[in-house]
Amino acid sequence: MSANAISPAGPSMWQSLIRNEIAVAFAAVLGALIVGLLLIVMIGVPLSDAIGAFLDGAVGSGYAIAASINRAAVFAAVGLGFIFANQANLTNVGGEGQIAMGGIAAAAVALKTPVADLPVGLAFMVPMLAAVIAGAVWGGICGVLKVKVGTNEVISSLLLTFIGIWLLYWSVQSTDLLRQPMTNTATLPETLEIPDATKLPALLDVAGPLNIGLVFVVFLAVIIQLALHQGVLGLRLRAAGLNELASRRAGIPYDRYVVLAMAVAGGFGGFAGAIMLQGDQYVLKDGFTSGYGFDGLVVGLLARGSSIGVVLGALFFGFLRSGGINMEMTAQVPSAVVVIIQGLVIIAIAASGYWLSRNEGKR
Amino acid sequence: MTLEQFAVFVGSSLRLATPLLFGATGEIVSEKAGVLNMSVEGMMLTAAFGGAYGSLVSGSAAVGLVIGIVSVVPVALLQAFLSNTLRVNQIVSGIGINILALGATTLAYREIFGARSSQLVDGFSTWVPPLLGQIPVIGRPIFEQVWIFYLAVALFVLVALGLKYTALGLALRAVGVDPKAANHAGISVTLVRYGAVTFAGLCSALGGVFISLGNIHTFTEGMTSGAGYLAITAVIFGNWRVWRMVGACLLFGAATALQFQLSPLGIEVPTAFLIMLPYVLAFVAVTGLVGRQTPPAALTLPFHAGK
Repeated sequence: MSANAISPAGPSMWQSLIRNEIAVAFAAVLGALIVGLLLIVMIGVPLSDAIGAFLDGAVGSGYAIAASINRAAVFAAVGLGFIFANQANLTNVGGEGQIAMGGIAAAAVALKTPVADLPVGLAFMVPMLAAVIAGAVWGGICGVLKVKVGTNEVISSLLLTFIGIWLLYWSVQSTDLLRQPMTNTATLPETLEIPDATKLPALLDVAGPLNIGLVFVVFLAVIIQLALHQGVLGLRLRAAGLNELASRRAGIPYDRYVVLAMAVAGGFGGFAGAIMLQGDQYVLKDGFTSGYGFDGLVVGLLARGSSIGVVLGALFFGFLRSGGINMEMTAQVPSAVVVIIQGLVIIAIAASGYWLSRNEGKR
Repeated sequence: MTLEQFAVFVGSSLRLATPLLFGATGEIVSEKAGVLNMSVEGMMLTAAFGGAYGSLVSGSAAVGLVIGIVSVVPVALLQAFLSNTLRVNQIVSGIGINILALGATTLAYREIFGARSSQLVDGFSTWVPPLLGQIPVIGRPIFEQVWIFYLAVALFVLVALGLKYTALGLALRAVGVDPKAANHAGISVTLVRYGAVTFAGLCSALGGVFISLGNIHTFTEGMTSGAGYLAITAVIFGNWRVWRMVGACLLFGAATALQFQLSPLGIEVPTAFLIMLPYVLAFVAVTGLVGRQTPPAALTLPFHAGK
């Protein structure tokens, strides 16, 4: 408060730059990338080789671009759910488990019901819907616990993540559940491939595997942006998150909004699981979730409540992951470098909130 | 099940509970002071690597232990700095650190161990306590443990008593319940919390070194595989009470040990169910079905002096 009195001159360029959240996110990412490059130099791989392999894997071909974008769509779905719940000051760290539940539900419906016989559109929509519901239940439970017994949603969603991951493991280990029939001892612990009719249609034939998950995600990004920033829903969620008592006095059904926020976040996680299964992997197996729930959480954090931020962050991480995988395969750069970059980005962005809020206080 | 089989089961439950007990002992100190230290997993993994590395280059597990502990200090200070000084969301900083530790240890392992990846390093020796070890049939299977198991027990007892009966323990709990009042009473909230997180780091380090040098005698990528999260889970399941927390660690250790014990006995329980069991139990605990959860009042809330 007194800072202005001490320095009556307007905010310096530095201050206005750091106040700009996009600039902060950019600086954090850039700093982490520089560390990544230094690590590559330290392990003795020529930078040109590493960068070449990275670009090849990320954008080097139609196939690479499509794979990166498919991955980005998954991150974006989880991230959009995250910012929706975060509007009500709720932190959903359960994306990974919600993806698992979505994957289980979509696989179960696609494989165990005659859904493949439905008309073309419905054949893939029904499993997807089942996944959304499964994820929404998984997230919604955390909301219910929060309002009924006061359980911190971070703790409950984290525990449910572990439960979800092991449920997935269980369901692909047991032939009574989703595991493919055991024809010999070498039968892998995974499901059969889902029927063709339940796979997501390709968006463009020429671009390789690009599926319509992207279209859904862009549509959802617009919806979330409008819901959070244009209408009464966003305001009410924010009010509920800021002050439970005050929002109740103002006639906002606090309980309902908390459950809604967590259920929506979970539903987006379930949806992410559906597009991973139906758009890309086609079989459910151990390790299906691939850490994408945590990547999506990071994307949601980076975005600071903006849908556009989620989409940009998701694209960044989508390309980063694809490039990293190729660096490991062709340039012998361990993809752990990419993991390190991710960790640094999370820490840097989270830490930058301190300076952002301090500068806001000075304004 | 014969008595001897049962004794073997108890012994392996204790062994599997040890890293959890180390981690949870540190975590409860941190949480009692109001910091939800989510980076136990990353701290354990760092120390597991540091310990294996130290043992590899020196040929001595004792040196490994020292290096494992030292390697966690910067991680703990980073966590303390983020959560206390920068007041970062404690969950987020913890997850960030865990991801960073996973990446860093994996990279360092590939670079340093490289071709020697399957080489065993010097590990801790086992110790049979007098008297207890001489109990016929069950003595040795239960009590013959790597010596730092007994360190875990001693550390836990010290912490349990220290929290309850010492001025430091009182100050720590005060900071976690009402930091403002503690501050007025002249306790430095920031200092206590830095100390608590650092202590949690040291305990986690012992747990991590136990995993790499106490059992497997080498490092593998991501070898803690959730032990840190289980330690946090034990604190939650224990409802922030030390003795219930120990019970949780033993229960989780036993659930893991069962995976190896049931099949030979011809009992078919899905492995996934046993692995999942600790999380399910903890989840049931936080739903309030077994009594209301009472975390420290200021848990996860950063302290803002002068506000």
